[in-house]
Amino acid sequence: MEKLLNKNNFDSLITGLKKQGYKTIAPRKDNRLVTLEEIQDANEISLDHVITNNSIKEYFLPKTEKILSYTIDKNKVEIEEPEGFAVKSVIFGSRPCDAFSLPVMDKVFNWDCVDKFWVERREAVTIVTISCDKCDSYCFCTSVGLAPDAKQGSDVLLTKISNDDYLVETVTEKGENLIKELESVFSDPPSDTPDRQVATVEKKFDISKIKPWLDENFEHDVWDDFSNKCIGCGACTFVCPTCHCFDIVDECTMTKGDRVKNWDGCQFKMFTMHTSGHNPRSTQGMRWRQRIMHKFKYYVEKFDSTLCVGCGRCSRVCPADMNISEMLEIIETEAGK
Amino acid sequence: MDNIYRPYLMTISDMIDEAPGVRTFRLNFSDEEEGKNFKFQTGQFGLYSVFGAGESTFCIASSPTREGYIECTFRETGRVTKALRELNIGDTLGFRGPYGNVFPIEKWEGKNLVFVAGGIALPPLRSVIWNCLDLRDKYKNVTIIYGAKTIHDLVYKNELKEWDARDDVNLVTTVDPGGETPEWTGKVGFVPTVVEEAAPDSKDTIAIVCGPPIMIKFTLPVLEKLGFKQDKVYTTLENRMKCGLGKCGRCNIGCTYVCKEGPVFTAEEISKMPDEF
Repeated sequence: MEKLLNKNNFDSLITGLKKQGYKTIAPRKDNRLVTLEEIQDANEISLDHVITNNSIKEYFLPKTEKILSYTIDKNKVEIEEPEGFAVKSVIFGSRPCDAFSLPVMDKVFNWDCVDKFWVERREAVTIVTISCDKCDSYCFCTSVGLAPDAKQGSDVLLTKISNDDYLVETVTEKGENLIKELESVFSDPPSDTPDRQVATVEKKFDISKIKPWLDENFEHDVWDDFSNKCIGCGACTFVCPTCHCFDIVDECTMTKGDRVKNWDGCQFKMFTMHTSGHNPRSTQGMRWRQRIMHKFKYYVEKFDSTLCVGCGRCSRVCPADMNISEMLEIIETEAGK
Repeated sequence: MDNIYRPYLMTISDMIDEAPGVRTFRLNFSDEEEGKNFKFQTGQFGLYSVFGAGESTFCIASSPTREGYIECTFRETGRVTKALRELNIGDTLGFRGPYGNVFPIEKWEGKNLVFVAGGIALPPLRSVIWNCLDLRDKYKNVTIIYGAKTIHDLVYKNELKEWDARDDVNLVTTVDPGGETPEWTGKVGFVPTVVEEAAPDSKDTIAIVCGPPIMIKFTLPVLEKLGFKQDKVYTTLENRMKCGLGKCGRCNIGCTYVCKEGPVFTAEEISKMPDEF
């Protein structure tokens, strides 16, 4: 289904969503940062940013989330299941790269056994993406097989076609239902072929060259070379929409507590350290090798998908100015030798 | 939808101190119905938790032939194991599992078995040892070679006596040089050397090795020298894990997730993995 949405109707769209019982999450400008967060009013929405500083991940895999609660009375324990974590919501204005991270992550949270915390949130949330009309030098979605107007992972895709108008394309049944619920906000699509305002994202490397090289080069100087600048802060893993590694810890008082799942990251030394002190990934080079291998080899072999959507956030936030697409360019060069 | 992170509630029905800092718990399901439906196979592991302290990964140290309970053996080293030590008989702890693959003991029927273990790595082998001893007719000669730093660090001292007294088990115990006392009648030496001396016949024999990485590293070449083919040598890997379900992303060695594709591997499988142990 195709429709047209005028910017002036954003207000009635957000009001309509609220009426239909949706919580709305959208890019919101707060000083210099644009962050995906809950909004109440359409005028909070930012439309002139490249990408939000946080990824879409935290709405499906929160930084910290209860996986069970318990009460302890002497030696008896009672477990309570967390409830109400999946809230009917719309994420309005996510980027295509972020949206695509969701079907990529579905694979790991569904394989073999199902993580209900991920899956129930996925069911409760509808994704309305806005195609990128601009990009920056960190963006590399086109290098990992995506595009600034890619549809995968979105329920509805909006693409700017004039200063005030967006072309609305439904991608899934869920998206179609959402548009039907709010029908009055939309008008009929233009009869002629619209001029889609989509950014041109430069292709930085040839992804087909990467995995064959990784297959052969578990041992290579590049791993230490890459990691020399790394301070091991793990910021790259936290802002990444596809980094899904987590820790499980207990937080409690004497009589009650929660078991919580927290974001964790492969760049931390403690991530793999054994109780004995032995560490299979004892150097930062080994930890960088894991990061690149996991994204561009292991995940591909296991789930037939690259674990990177080219959003470039890891490179934007890196305090040591490391850049993953530059690393992949180096690997491409090595592969050509 | 089921919560895959929800543990069974278990009651500690018995405990035994095995060695300094090392304790075994016998655990019964607090809910009898859950206990009846629970099945596991030797080699599998689980996440044991103290409510208020957190979860920790250990093997199931008892044999599936001993029904109605499971046992775990742990050494006090960190937060969770310290909290475990503070629990008493009658207290409740959590267990999720069983996870991972199994020792293919049916495939081993009719063969000789050589078990090689070091230190606190006897618990995973204890499960498979008792499993095979409880089905003793199905296997030929059974040899157990077990070493620890000192005689105090040998775990399952009562069971070692029991195995030693059996005619159908050949038990060799050893301690590292300096770990013996004048009364010690076992061997003195490191496990790989003792395996070489004991020289178990590799013909029609399966070797099962479990120990610290350094012991495994030096024992595998000895077994190869004795004629053991790599696909006849089994071991278990124990990497740091949080979920046990292939999601938390830390236990992998290359493409292999130890929690899902392991913890049991043949030496042949390990030889194909990248060097990231």
